[in-house]
Amino acid sequence: MRALRLRDATTIAVVALLGVTGPLRAAEIGGRVVDPQGNPVREAVVFIDQLAPGVAPPVNGRTATMDQVHRQFVPHVLPVQVGTQVSFPNHDQIHHHVYSLSRTKTFEIPLYKGETAPPIRFEQVGAVKLGCNIHDWMSGIILVVPTPYFATTDEQGAFTLRDVPAGTYGVVAWHEGSKVKVEDTRQSVTAGAGASPLTFTLEVVEPRVRPVARRGYE
Amino acid sequence: MDCLKCQTARGCRFGLALAFFVAVSGPTRAGAEEPYEVPEEPSVSLRALLDLRVVRGTQAPSWQEGGPGTLRYGGVQESDGSSERVTRFAISQLALEPSAELPWGVHFHAQLNWDGDVDDRGDTSPDHDVIRLVESYLRKDWGTSASGWGVLAGVSNPQFSLENMGPAWTPKYTLTPSALNSWLWEDGRVVGLEGEWWKTTGNDVDLNAFAGLGWGPDRMGILLARRGWVLSDFLNGINNKFPLPGGAYGQQFDERDDRPALYVGGNVGDPWKIGKLVVGYFDNLGNLGVQGVWEMRYGVAGVALQPIAGLDILFQYLIGKTDTRVNSFDSIVQALYPLISYRWRTHRLTFRYDDFRVQDEDGPPNTKQRGHAFTVSYLFEFGLHHRIGFEYITVDSTRAGVSPPGDDGWQISYRFRY
Repeated sequence: MRALRLRDATTIAVVALLGVTGPLRAAEIGGRVVDPQGNPVREAVVFIDQLAPGVAPPVNGRTATMDQVHRQFVPHVLPVQVGTQVSFPNHDQIHHHVYSLSRTKTFEIPLYKGETAPPIRFEQVGAVKLGCNIHDWMSGIILVVPTPYFATTDEQGAFTLRDVPAGTYGVVAWHEGSKVKVEDTRQSVTAGAGASPLTFTLEVVEPRVRPVARRGYE
Repeated sequence: MDCLKCQTARGCRFGLALAFFVAVSGPTRAGAEEPYEVPEEPSVSLRALLDLRVVRGTQAPSWQEGGPGTLRYGGVQESDGSSERVTRFAISQLALEPSAELPWGVHFHAQLNWDGDVDDRGDTSPDHDVIRLVESYLRKDWGTSASGWGVLAGVSNPQFSLENMGPAWTPKYTLTPSALNSWLWEDGRVVGLEGEWWKTTGNDVDLNAFAGLGWGPDRMGILLARRGWVLSDFLNGINNKFPLPGGAYGQQFDERDDRPALYVGGNVGDPWKIGKLVVGYFDNLGNLGVQGVWEMRYGVAGVALQPIAGLDILFQYLIGKTDTRVNSFDSIVQALYPLISYRWRTHRLTFRYDDFRVQDEDGPPNTKQRGHAFTVSYLFEFGLHHRIGFEYITVDSTRAGVSPPGDDGWQISYRFRY
């Protein structure tokens, strides 16, 4: 009975501590990304690029997956925090030869199938454009951002950054075809109760998408 | 000598053109863009492939030079009628593949090929190596990569091969494709229309079906009946002449009866991505009432398996019948091959056995051929652009009761692909 009481007291103390410093104080930052005509922009990435003073980015031990299905990268845009390890499984029946010549990360994974390829760590922020050396039309992007607070917009252009510690941050928006520089989209927002939804306006040129070739080149 | 000058000049012009196109198109390293900027996809692109070879081919002159040799590169004929092996230095393939994305989602693609060689005596191959148009088409697709359909219009080849799936339609597993697939890339090119449908079902079965009609293959079958099966990675075009036994040349792509050829095909892939089954049927619907027309129809079936990572097992079989009214060349043709290939990292080792035959169905001339071949090939890729390869082939082929001497050969290849 004595032991039980001690355990209860410990639990209460931990909950109280978390309530002061941890997830109970975390907030959400939401909003939309639209074009100049007010139309929703999907597959934009909104992320915090400037942390509040005194808030340190969590240590990143995350992993993420850029899949290859039906001769396409899935998802087309994969946002990750800097330091994330990304695996590239190939779930097609044919071989792919994934590569990137982007300055942010240059690499290649020679012809392979299945889940044999070792993951790649992305240690520099920026956009990493992916291609397949066999299938020219395959195109994907890994967007490496400085913090774990990022979200991809849905069909309505909506996003939600979750579990953001209280504080004032710089939030930016990115889209593959945006004509606006990322730093020019920055808005300052204070996370916490009463924060207003953000609206980003991006002039977007729909990226040219090469059709999937059905002929040859396996 | 004039021939050499001509070829050299033509080669230089082609090389300069290649250098120019390579300089202005294709995948490039991103410039001084800001970190989050994504370079735009070019609407026009160009791929190129250059394959350099050192070849010690058959002792008999190759079929490419009208000889009885069954490989692409062969020896030379001496003045006393004997033949001697030579070493050849070849550009076995220089291919350019321009592509463009046009309005309304239309995709353009073409492939031009050139090749040439010089032997250790300084002699070049006969001047039949023109720049060949291998394919050129417009294509429009609807749907997604998981389900949809497409239409193609232009010069194309029915996609029956399990081997010629590499860049610029090169063989994927070896330097030289099987006899079966060698012939599929010599004959059967059409100018016409092709429709394709594909779908991945709810239980992850991949289905694909296509059908087409086109004009051009009215001489289809003449190569097998008069020359027989060969093993070669030479990709025929629609604008070049083709060597026949005895030093004659014929235009393979030659529409004479204004009657379109028809073909259908399809493949099924299993949900576990272990293998796929490929079938096809082609009939050139040749009108034998028109002078010079050959009738050819064939069926082909094959299976490609990948039971474990890195291991590929292929088997393909073709049977066909060719006929012409003027001469007695009626023949039944058959070819098959099993192939086993193992890839470890960027190394690939492949073994293939070929069996091929032509059965004479009427009187003289005798078109009968019976042969088999064994191929071993090693390929090593490095970087995004480079590959080296070694291949040895030995062929035992008897045609009309005659076996050419020394039907084996080896070759070393360096391939650059941009």
